[in-house]
Amino acid sequence: METQVQPVFRTEGLTRIYTSGEVAVRALDGVDLTLEAGAFTVLLGASGSGKSTLLNILGGLDRATAGRVWFRDTEITGASDAALTRFRRDHVGFVFQFYNLIASLTARENVQLVTDVARNPMPPEEALDLVDMGHRIDHFPAQLSGGEQQRVAIARAIAKRPDVLLCDEPTGALDSRTGVRVLEALAAVNDRFGTTTVVITHNAAIRAMAHRVIRFADGRVAEVTENARRLPPSAIDW
Amino acid sequence: MRALDRKLLRDLRRQSAQGAAIALVLACGVAILLMSVGLSRALEETRAAYYERNRFADVFASVRRVPRTLLPEIAALPGVLAVEARIEGAAVLDLPGRTEAAQARVLSLPADGGEPALNLPLLREGRWPDPESAAEVAVNEPFARANGFRPGDSFTAILDGRARVLTITGIALSPEFIYTIGPGAMMPDNAGYGILWLSDRAAAAAFGMQGAFSTVALSLWAGAPEGPVIDALDRLLAPFGAVGAHGRDAQMSNAFLDAEITQLRTIAAILPPVFLVITTYLVGMVMGRIVELERAEIGLLKALGYGRGAILGQYMALSAGVAMAGVLLGWVLGTVLSQAMARLYAQYFDFPFLIFGLSPGVYALSAVLGLAAAMLGALRASLRAAALPPAVAMAPPVPPSYRRGIADRALTALRPSQPTLMILRGLLRWPLRTALSILGLALAVSVLVASNFFPDALDFLVDQSFNLGNRQEAILILGAEAPEGALMAVARLPGVLQAEGQSVAPVRLTHGPRQKTATLEARRPGADLARIVTTDGRTVEPPAGGLLLSERLAAALDAAPGDMIEVALLARGGEVHALPLAGTVPLYFGLGAWTDLDTFSRLLREAPRISAAGVTLDRAAEAEFHAAVKGLPGVAGTILLDRNVAAFRDTIGENVLVVTSIYAFLGIVITAGVAYNGARIQMSERARELASLRILGFSRGEVSYVLVGETMLLALLAQPPGWWIGAAVARLLTDSFASDLYSVPLVLNPATFAQASLVCLLAAFAAAMVVRRRIDRLDLVAVLKTRE
Repeated sequence: METQVQPVFRTEGLTRIYTSGEVAVRALDGVDLTLEAGAFTVLLGASGSGKSTLLNILGGLDRATAGRVWFRDTEITGASDAALTRFRRDHVGFVFQFYNLIASLTARENVQLVTDVARNPMPPEEALDLVDMGHRIDHFPAQLSGGEQQRVAIARAIAKRPDVLLCDEPTGALDSRTGVRVLEALAAVNDRFGTTTVVITHNAAIRAMAHRVIRFADGRVAEVTENARRLPPSAIDW
Repeated sequence: MRALDRKLLRDLRRQSAQGAAIALVLACGVAILLMSVGLSRALEETRAAYYERNRFADVFASVRRVPRTLLPEIAALPGVLAVEARIEGAAVLDLPGRTEAAQARVLSLPADGGEPALNLPLLREGRWPDPESAAEVAVNEPFARANGFRPGDSFTAILDGRARVLTITGIALSPEFIYTIGPGAMMPDNAGYGILWLSDRAAAAAFGMQGAFSTVALSLWAGAPEGPVIDALDRLLAPFGAVGAHGRDAQMSNAFLDAEITQLRTIAAILPPVFLVITTYLVGMVMGRIVELERAEIGLLKALGYGRGAILGQYMALSAGVAMAGVLLGWVLGTVLSQAMARLYAQYFDFPFLIFGLSPGVYALSAVLGLAAAMLGALRASLRAAALPPAVAMAPPVPPSYRRGIADRALTALRPSQPTLMILRGLLRWPLRTALSILGLALAVSVLVASNFFPDALDFLVDQSFNLGNRQEAILILGAEAPEGALMAVARLPGVLQAEGQSVAPVRLTHGPRQKTATLEARRPGADLARIVTTDGRTVEPPAGGLLLSERLAAALDAAPGDMIEVALLARGGEVHALPLAGTVPLYFGLGAWTDLDTFSRLLREAPRISAAGVTLDRAAEAEFHAAVKGLPGVAGTILLDRNVAAFRDTIGENVLVVTSIYAFLGIVITAGVAYNGARIQMSERARELASLRILGFSRGEVSYVLVGETMLLALLAQPPGWWIGAAVARLLTDSFASDLYSVPLVLNPATFAQASLVCLLAAFAAAMVVRRRIDRLDLVAVLKTRE
């Protein structure tokens, strides 16, 4: 395992409380965590354990109720909406369970959406080649299978050479064979560019490919394990 | 309450903003329908009741002087029910506190002091003049009001050259003068033109008409055709200098009312359908989206055992709810608007009462039309909802599929930014919806263009008719024709800078089977003041040896240049001459006919004579001029053109402001309704994509561009067709406003289009910005975690 000294994300007493009506739900309850650069981290946990909330706050989509978050040396808690937008644009790539491609744009154009505004992007074709989608570059989302759409979504997320790649259930809507191809794409990006990658999953089998596995329960970190030996995605099956 | 009904109510509340936008559009349609139908009916019914109660005549004829002994013969004509003869004449008035002379039409009252058989004036205040008195007078109410006259007040009238002081005993209204307009005037001038009722004795003495009459009015038996009566009356009166009998259609006051009612009917026929069509489209668009969003619920309801009818009823009821809101709002708006317009009308039309009850039938009709428009719009989406199989309904909808067509290749070749591409592909993907949205916005632009052109048209009209055509500042109407040399006397009046004479004669023109009564003006060529200026700005000289007719008159006679026209001189016992039609000119006002003064004199075998003189005045000596004219025996009246123009501008200007504001409001409502609903639907369909863009790091402004950009692109695309439709509607309006009396020029300045576009674009932008606020509230996480 590589040893990285510099943390990409650091949280201190991170707490997020959702209030709906008279019920207050403590989605995160004082999380202290450090994510190191280049690491491939898997977040596990039951529904409502707080892992998605953590991911959203790290990615600048949501705000903490209490506690602090740093991206590298910059504190992002309390940043303005414009600053968070800037942060997402420059540093973060997202991949969701439901691919969220723009239906009216082709695979290439969906990637271009990001490369047009990023500082140092790779050509859209290169990003699509990386996820093995070079041959379907001019297809619209409706003409692609679920796995193909997710790979375009990954290409779109990595094309700007993000510092972190945040993936929320990237294989949740896919069958095992297609899911493996998506995981291979993620692993390739992590290996090749050293992109810090955080993957949320319900699928415990995926933990085998991570450097580190963090298990969540009731809004807290319940357990952190380091994998001494990682399996390639092709060896994973579910 | 059934659970399904409760769902319906909550759905209504949830869609309240979109529902309100649609309801407002529908309300405008309903309101205009109520206003135009209500107002035209009010005018018709009030007029009918007034005519009936005050025995308005059916046939009218003017003569020079006919002995009363001819009356039994007239009464014996087949079809004639009643006859009323009286003495009529013109008077110049010297009113206390008024520099310039006023004019009046003098009417005699029955000699026996009883009621006239026809055209019964209605006494509003005071009493009728004593039949034995020559110094008492009753005046029409608008004249009294404008001059502040009360019974007991006096003024000086010059009757046939003799001044006498008349004391007002009564104030009256008459069905003959619902719309009162002086000779040569364009707008009512209540202060400067009055109707005077004198006793028969006084009138006979003033005009030398003892035992004679100068106008006769007839009423006919119900169902009796007026044509034969008019012909028989003309034959009977021909030896007495008859000017030609006519029916109600040529009675000035009645003709103006007819023109107004026609205009209101035109508005009722053009505008409400526009709003109903837009309502149908908006309901269709919104309901389609609601059904799309509620697929799962529809599937669930079906799975629970609700039938097609229940589902269909649910969505139809939703649209009916919106329609009812629109209809109710429209009723309120329409009632208020009708009353406001009725008050505006009361300034022009002098009715003693106004029958203004909007009939329940009109309300019911508007409700039926409004409901039908909304439910027609909802029908397609509702049927689709009812037909959804439950299993399909509960599965997510198939994502919209895009393909690369020729248009798309052309698009991408332009290398637009990705957000621009999203906008363009979205519009191309649903071409029908795009086209309908453009049409809806274009209709809004057209309403704005069609209402905006009116002020320009009026400016143009005034410029053409006065600044170019009639440059004389005042016209002196001579009581009797005078030798041309009389012009010298006019030129010597104090303050007169320039004087021009012309001869004006009532004529009946005949070409083949067609006849038309008109005024023939004979002038010297090279006139500098009274000129014939065509609609395209050319100045035309009265032709020597022939006739020049306005195009409207030539068309009515079906005559073309070169045709021979029979000219019957009505003031000379109908003596007939034939003149070739030398040419026609397009004009806005009146049924003009002209010839050269020498030609005219040769026809009459006499030296040139004039019956009117136009003058320009030295402003400094105006008071002296008016004072001199008041005392001039040969002058039957003075028309002050600049005062006329000012009155015309004032009254019309105020009117135009009210009407233009109403139309501008309507245009804004349509634009906002179409743009807001379009943006809302786009927001709903694109919520996920817009949230994705936000997550990818696009700022709110950049994401707003997609939403607002689409609305604004649609609005921009709607401008050219909107201009085109607006010009067509304006043409339709000007065509429908054209009457024997005048026509309205179609003047479309670039500024008219620019203003309409500006209002439409601003309204569309505002509507899109209201929807844009939803982008700020987008819950990024929630949107992306859920499946569509």
